[in-house]
Amino acid sequence: MTYYHQHIIEIRKALYPNEYLYRQAVLAKLFIDKHYNHDINLDEISDKAFFSKFHFIRLFRSIYYKTPYQYLTSVRIEKAKLFLQSGKSISETCSLIGFRSITSFTSLFRKATGYTPANFVKKYRKLPELIPFPYNSLGYLQKNQSQKTAILKKTNSRVCSLNQ
Amino acid sequence: MRIRLTSVLVDDQDKALQFYTEKLGFVKKTDIPLGEHKWLTVVSPESDEIELVLEPMGFEPAKTYQKALFEAGIPLTAFHVEDVHKEYEQLLKKGVEFSLKPTNMGAVTLAVFNDTCGNNIQIVQV
Repeated sequence: MTYYHQHIIEIRKALYPNEYLYRQAVLAKLFIDKHYNHDINLDEISDKAFFSKFHFIRLFRSIYYKTPYQYLTSVRIEKAKLFLQSGKSISETCSLIGFRSITSFTSLFRKATGYTPANFVKKYRKLPELIPFPYNSLGYLQKNQSQKTAILKKTNSRVCSLNQ
Repeated sequence: MRIRLTSVLVDDQDKALQFYTEKLGFVKKTDIPLGEHKWLTVVSPESDEIELVLEPMGFEPAKTYQKALFEAGIPLTAFHVEDVHKEYEQLLKKGVEFSLKPTNMGAVTLAVFNDTCGNNIQIVQV
């Protein structure tokens, strides 16, 4: 057994004596990650995994520093940011992350990010292929000069049309 | 500031390229000859935003450091995977040797394997 292996076993014994409970909390977290866009009944999850809802919430928070509900909300908001950045509309995004009301989505989104979804879109929406990256990490040209010129011309024309 | 590159020091770049592509499933992105060695990077097949440099180990004191880490079983770096158990089974079938089998550590599951180029690499599921 290596030094690292021994060390891992010691930490595990000291910090995570009840592996089963931790595993259940991790499974609950993975369930939220996968089904964030559905109606997730956290009461049901805690009932299946543990004896008491209070115990479940306390354990979950000790691992992820959030209650299961706070964690679900944070996953939904992070997904919403990605959807909005990728060009989805606000109502589409709202439905894709499992919200039924745009009003409550907007309010929660603003609370979490400091922006309304509309303002977030204005500030962060990605422009598709606006600035290609023709260099690799050493600074060598990956494309030949004519390709590079063509790309820059294309980029400039897009920027011009966006500014009009 | 963004992280675009990270590196592992390897004793043989060709052997490393073979292991990191054929066994781990990464994809070669850059291969530029630089004298005795080359600028060699691989990326994840899902995203090429972050490159892993397979960097030649040419500095003697660093060899001592690498050897000490390896002998203690300490990973040089870690890669994220969706399911450590599944990855472990797949890598075992490909002949990869593990010094630490999948182990749960609270919210994290990890395992450690030998990259055959002088390093222990950890896979982590969070």
